[in-house]
Amino acid sequence: MLPAIGSAALSIDAVAARLADLGDDLIDPRVQEPDTVVAVVAGGRLHDLAVALRALDGIAYESCNFIAAVDYGDRFEAVYHLYSFASNTYLELHVDVPRDKPVLATVSDVWPAADWHEREAWDMMGIRFEGHPDLRRILLSDDWVGHPLRKDYVDSVENHPHA
Amino acid sequence: MGLTDLDFKTFAEHVHYPNISQFERPNVVTTTVDFIFSWARSHSVFPFTYGLACCAIEMLSSGFARYDVARYGMEVFRPTPRQCDLMIVAGTVNEKMAPVLKLLYEQMAEPKWVIAMGACATSGGPFYDSYNVVNGVDKIVPVDVYIPGCPPRPEALFQGLLELQKKIQAMRIVPPVAALADAPPAAQATPEAAAFAAGTKVRS
Repeated sequence: MLPAIGSAALSIDAVAARLADLGDDLIDPRVQEPDTVVAVVAGGRLHDLAVALRALDGIAYESCNFIAAVDYGDRFEAVYHLYSFASNTYLELHVDVPRDKPVLATVSDVWPAADWHEREAWDMMGIRFEGHPDLRRILLSDDWVGHPLRKDYVDSVENHPHA
Repeated sequence: MGLTDLDFKTFAEHVHYPNISQFERPNVVTTTVDFIFSWARSHSVFPFTYGLACCAIEMLSSGFARYDVARYGMEVFRPTPRQCDLMIVAGTVNEKMAPVLKLLYEQMAEPKWVIAMGACATSGGPFYDSYNVVNGVDKIVPVDVYIPGCPPRPEALFQGLLELQKKIQAMRIVPPVAALADAPPAAQATPEAAAFAAGTKVRS
C-alpha cells in the first residue's frame, strides 16, 4: 500500500464504513485488499451510483482506471475499477449482466476515461452501453463477426480474408 | 536444387586474373555476369525495418556493435519499401496488419525477398488459431527463409541471412540459351527461359 496522500486521508475501514452508509445501491461493500473495497451493484442502479461516488465528500472516486468484462458462462459481469485520489483507495464494482440482454448504462459521461473501456467491452464481449456517444468497435475491424472473448465464440472465416 | 547443395561462392573461386604481361599489376579480372551480379546483390541486401513484436528487439540487437550485421553488408535498414529488397518480418502478424504488410511488400522493387523471423511470422507461433493472428506471414506473401525461435537470437537471424545469400547467389542474370535463341515464346523450353521472357524470377 502506498503512503496516504494528504492529511485528509481516511483509513480503508473508514472508507468501507462510508460506503456502507450510501444505502442499498452498493451491496455488501467489504475490504478485500489493504487499499481496496469490493462491492456488488445492480445494473439498473449503476449510473446514479457512479454520479454519487464521483462526488462523494472526502473520498471522491475521480478516476475510472479500468472496466473489465467477464464471461461466467451463464452470465456476464462488468467490473469497474475506480480510484480515489483523496483517500488513496480503490473501489471495485461488480455488476451482473444477463446473457440474454447484455445491456448496461454508460458511465462515460461521469468518467470520460470509461469511453474507450466500454468500447473494448462491447468489442470483445458484446456488452452494449446505452447512452454511449460512439459505441464502435475499438480493436477489431468494423465488419468483424462476433465478440471473440465470449466463451461460446466460434471464429468465422469472414473474419480472416487474408488466411 | 536444394539450398544445401549450394556452396558459398567466393570471389577467389570465380574471378580470374588473366596473365596480361603488359600490365604492371593484374588490374583486369574476368568472371561471369551471373557471378558478379549475384555476388554484389547477395552482399548488399537492404533490409526493410519490419519489427512487429519482441523479435524486433533481436533484429535491432543484431544491428548494433555486439553482433553487427554490417559484417554481411546488410546493415542499412531502411524505413521505406522503395529502398529495400529484403523484408524481415520480425514478429506477430495480426489481421489488421496483414493488408498493410501485403501493400508494403508489393511496393518493394524486384528482385525482393522475405524472411519470416520467429515462430509468429512462421506459423502464428503461440497465437496459432487465435481469432486475430494470421497463421504465418506466408499466408500473405511468399517467404524465402524461415527462422525458428521465440524469439530467435541474432546468431539465428544471421544464419537465415546467410541461407538467403545462398539463395540469391543461385539466381541467374543471363538468360539460358533457349531464351536467347530466336524462337517464339511458346517454344522456350525451360522454366527459367519462360520466366526470363516473362520478366519474373524463378524461385528454387
